[in-house]
Amino acid sequence: MLTDDKISIAKEILKNRFFQICINQKYKEKEFKIPIHLALGHESIAVAINKIMTEKDNLILSHRNIAYNLARLGVLKPILDEYLLAENGLMNGKLGSMNLINPNQGIVYTSSILGNNFSVSVGVSLSQKIRKYDGITIVLGGDGSIEEGSFHESLLMLKTLDLSTLVIIENNEWSMHTKISERRHSINLQKFCNAYDIKYVKLEGNNVFEYIETLESLRKDCLATKSPICIEVMITTLGDWTMKTPEFPNGKFINYHAGPSPNIDLSQGLLPIRKTNEDPIYVLENIFGNLDQIKKEVLSESENEL
Amino acid sequence: MKYIEFVNKLLKQEVSKHDELVLFGQNINAGSCLGGLTRNLKVKENSKVINSTNSENSLCGLGFGLLIGGVNSILFMKQLDFLLLGIDHLVNTFNIIRNINEFKSKSSFTIMPIIVDNGFQGPQSSLNNLSDFCSIARIPGFTITNKIDAEKIISSELVKPGFRIICPSQRLFQEEIIEPGKLEYVNKENTVFQYSAGTDVTIVCFNLSFSYGFELSSRLSKKKKFASLFTINSPICNDWSKIIDNLKITKKLIVFEDSKSINTIDSSFINDVMEFCKLDKKIIVKREIGEHWLNPTSDEIPIKYDEIINQIL
Repeated sequence: MLTDDKISIAKEILKNRFFQICINQKYKEKEFKIPIHLALGHESIAVAINKIMTEKDNLILSHRNIAYNLARLGVLKPILDEYLLAENGLMNGKLGSMNLINPNQGIVYTSSILGNNFSVSVGVSLSQKIRKYDGITIVLGGDGSIEEGSFHESLLMLKTLDLSTLVIIENNEWSMHTKISERRHSINLQKFCNAYDIKYVKLEGNNVFEYIETLESLRKDCLATKSPICIEVMITTLGDWTMKTPEFPNGKFINYHAGPSPNIDLSQGLLPIRKTNEDPIYVLENIFGNLDQIKKEVLSESENEL
Repeated sequence: MKYIEFVNKLLKQEVSKHDELVLFGQNINAGSCLGGLTRNLKVKENSKVINSTNSENSLCGLGFGLLIGGVNSILFMKQLDFLLLGIDHLVNTFNIIRNINEFKSKSSFTIMPIIVDNGFQGPQSSLNNLSDFCSIARIPGFTITNKIDAEKIISSELVKPGFRIICPSQRLFQEEIIEPGKLEYVNKENTVFQYSAGTDVTIVCFNLSFSYGFELSSRLSKKKKFASLFTINSPICNDWSKIIDNLKITKKLIVFEDSKSINTIDSSFINDVMEFCKLDKKIIVKREIGEHWLNPTSDEIPIKYDEIINQIL
């Protein structure tokens, strides 16, 4: 990949983060009536998927769709206006956040019901096959959604009907306020996929360039084999805080789920939220060495968005 | 011709006309083909017939996904109660689709579940009321009760932009299809049908109770009394104008409603009617829910026709 391309991709990630921080700020200032699920920390996979999509592909999302909608659109204003339920919003203020779609950018369905979108993706993918469109369907879910029966029904249908679909599971280890270990036995997703004879791939580390390379190859693979591929992406949803209550005087760890994240502030600019590979910006800093100039350009370019 | 043969014949004619149409459901092209409902359905080359997996919830999602992708589809289901597994999509997925103009006008998705109303399937298959499904999200729905409404509903509602549920009755499968004779009136939504225009009594049939109303109307004719006979084929209908006009002449109302649930449309109908008409007589024939109502037993409502005729005249 050329350096200029890499810089452009880095900018997309930084812009995605910046836009989300701006929304978080407005959220803290109570500007929104609607619930919003931020996806800080999801920027690498969102930008990578945006990069590999062609105009023939469809993207189907979950309630935590903000990083993907921002990545596909590239600007904040129409999404911000949608969240403000304005008529000039991306979908005329009709959908809000958890069901936000953007058919012009291939985002054809988004569901706030866990697991609901998998079966819709089967239909969308089948329509591509019937109409002989040379594209794929990409559907997103989380580790909570694979507990739903619909996930398994849909994998079986995708395989049975020979549909070119990437099923992407963002595993952030949390569902609302419970960790996986607090709510269920572990699930070996790879073994499930083996049972359905579906290829399984795991992505981790938030290196967007590696993600793009892998996903491009998998896209071609699923088109050629007319078969679904399941991709588990290990992710950390950033924006956690410590809640102190009479029951927890020493504080209880609250993983970010929904609402504004109190510890994230616009004044922090584009500093990594966490200095580990869990944060795509920290990963970018390690790849580029110094991101200061790129960050400066992103902030300057994004100024008009606010 | 038997009811099921006639409905199957209409389906065969209709599905053969459309491009990019997917027919799907469990065993629709195998075994008894859902008691004959889906036997020998042939589609165009650019269409598809799929004997699907046993995944009712996801089958509903699949249909909505096809609609989003611009492909028409019909999901056939052996029993209405199987559709309970798909309620999430009937409500949540449909609500998104109909809120987006380009989706709701794009293509067609129809679910055709058989209402198991013969009564012998056991407690788990006692659900016989289409209103329960339609009212939850104001879903367009239609029952098929006779030759005329079958022709009208299948030819104009089976494949058209948007989503709806169309239900045949299992109780009627092996009966001769009822031929009501003349269609006096049908509204543009195909939700209110009128088959005769008598001035003595107004008979209104809900859900799948048309056979009772038709029988009563025939018996009245033999006594030289003539009824206006209506069916309300849609549970979300609120267009009572034609019936109210008729009641202003007859002033006598007989309602048939064969559902087992509490959520039935006749209650709101009667409320509306009473607001606009002063009736001389009113008889409501509904199912009696006794202590054995969930046991496998005939769902046929025992109607005392002579008693009703004596009361109403």
